[in-house]
Amino acid sequence: MSLLGKKFKLIEDFDQSIAGDYQLLPSRFSAIDKNRYVLSNEVGEYLVVTRLQLENFIRKKVPANTDFYYDLKSKHFLFDGDSNVAIDLLALKYRTKAQRIAQFTALHLFVVTLRCDYTCQYCQVSRQTDDKHAFDMSEETANKALDLVFKSPSPAIKIEFQGGEPLLNFSLIRYIVNEAKQRNLLSRKDLQFVITTNLSLLNDAVLEFCQQHDIYLSTSLDGPEKLHNGNRPRPGKNGYQLTVTAIKKAQDYLGRHKVGALMTTTENSLTQPKAIIDTYLENNLDSVFLRPLSPYGFAVKNQKAHHYDIDRWFEFYKEGLDYVFEINRQGHHFEELYTQLIVNKLLSPFSLGYVDLQSPSGAAISAIVYNYDGDVYASDESRMLAEMGDKKFRLGNVHTDSYPDIWLSNTLLDTLESTVSESLPMCTDCGFLPYCGTDPVYHYATQGDVVGHKALSGFCSKNMKIFKHVIQLLEDDTEAREILLSWVH
Amino acid sequence: MKDDVLTFDVRVFSLDTIKRALYRFADKCSFDIQLKDNEITVTFTSKVVDDLPVKIKNEVLDQDLRDTLAKETSNIRTLILANAFSNTGLIQ
Repeated sequence: MSLLGKKFKLIEDFDQSIAGDYQLLPSRFSAIDKNRYVLSNEVGEYLVVTRLQLENFIRKKVPANTDFYYDLKSKHFLFDGDSNVAIDLLALKYRTKAQRIAQFTALHLFVVTLRCDYTCQYCQVSRQTDDKHAFDMSEETANKALDLVFKSPSPAIKIEFQGGEPLLNFSLIRYIVNEAKQRNLLSRKDLQFVITTNLSLLNDAVLEFCQQHDIYLSTSLDGPEKLHNGNRPRPGKNGYQLTVTAIKKAQDYLGRHKVGALMTTTENSLTQPKAIIDTYLENNLDSVFLRPLSPYGFAVKNQKAHHYDIDRWFEFYKEGLDYVFEINRQGHHFEELYTQLIVNKLLSPFSLGYVDLQSPSGAAISAIVYNYDGDVYASDESRMLAEMGDKKFRLGNVHTDSYPDIWLSNTLLDTLESTVSESLPMCTDCGFLPYCGTDPVYHYATQGDVVGHKALSGFCSKNMKIFKHVIQLLEDDTEAREILLSWVH
Repeated sequence: MKDDVLTFDVRVFSLDTIKRALYRFADKCSFDIQLKDNEITVTFTSKVVDDLPVKIKNEVLDQDLRDTLAKETSNIRTLILANAFSNTGLIQ
């Protein structure tokens, strides 16, 4: 042992750090409760610290050779004479996070028709008509849109069919899928398809086509029968039964994981998160997305009312999430998708393609919408806003505008410039910035300004509450932490 | 409902720090800010939150720390970003 001891120096011999002799690296902080702060750096690594620790760190009073010092050093909040590799590592990680911007638009939404067999009260876009020509996308428009799709430099392309009810124009879906695959023989991109459908028109021909082309089905399931049918009226008042029967049929035909469901949250949803989640379990679905109330209803609510809605929604979310944990503790892997997204942002080095949580916003550079008439919008919400009479975020038309016309339009570039969170008031020094983003359409709809005042923003309020809650769970609740870690992909 | 007044010594806290702190309370009330000699006087009417003055003072302290952090790291932040995007052809 003594011989071995002479060969190897002690750890202390390698440690050149001297108390107080360190340099700060860029970071931000925000309170998560009365006593603690989250301290995060440019690439999203974080520590939860007390006020005293925070002050000592910034005033350079943290003693070297302590656990806290090593935590700060290993997570790149400081560097000292011992090593300056932190700057290179941070640059590398930053480049990894920013990679999605260079890859550009991956999600392309085709609104193949506005016709729908449902009359959902919160939907601004659907039309009840037998006139196929008035609100259906034509092959000519689809071809022009596909020209733009295949100009995207993204190595992965997802084409999502939306409506109205897209299966009412299934012949065009067939056409687009076949045409896209044909064009992809040359482009050789990772090409995927999704149909967002209420499933009421699902039949064997549709299923066979989906199986043949590996198409994913995304449907709407708002919860128990009474809630679902109340939210989503249709002739016969049998929407729920049609949907759950079709989910089962599609799962049997395509496989469980080729069918997903999303819910729309309404006033009536807020009192029954457990019943909603039970409906998802009963229908053999592996996840639920407890989505917030949308501000794009019949009318955008005033700020005070909307803040009240956010508070009520957050209680709904927390109760739902607790129930999801209980389900997981019983051995059933079941995820809440927004929480899963946040946990992955907190704990993985990659940027995730969720349009609302990106800086700059993912509008048009992550996802873009081709409307039935060829109009191009920066997001689905932009299209809804247009149907409410405001075409602020219309970027052009596939028949008259080229790829550069659309993606370099002043409308888009001005919007993107206004969504770089690093330069926005309040966002710029927020500890949650690396995980957050901004939604220009939301802020325009609620405040008349694409930047918006974050102290008045329901978007900011909602996300801050969720970030704090999820970080508190990771810090304080061992069981919840274990479950959340199992959701990191 | 009454007017509350907070005063800050400009030799301790900068006007920018005070303004950044107050900005975060725009959903609670509006503020009147005056600078005279070395004193910043903030007048506001709090009707929603009883402990608003305490919260504002704490936020001013946080903003002061943020100011120190930002000043000390601004050059390093530029260095990291330049390093991250070097050899990408995106910066000249």
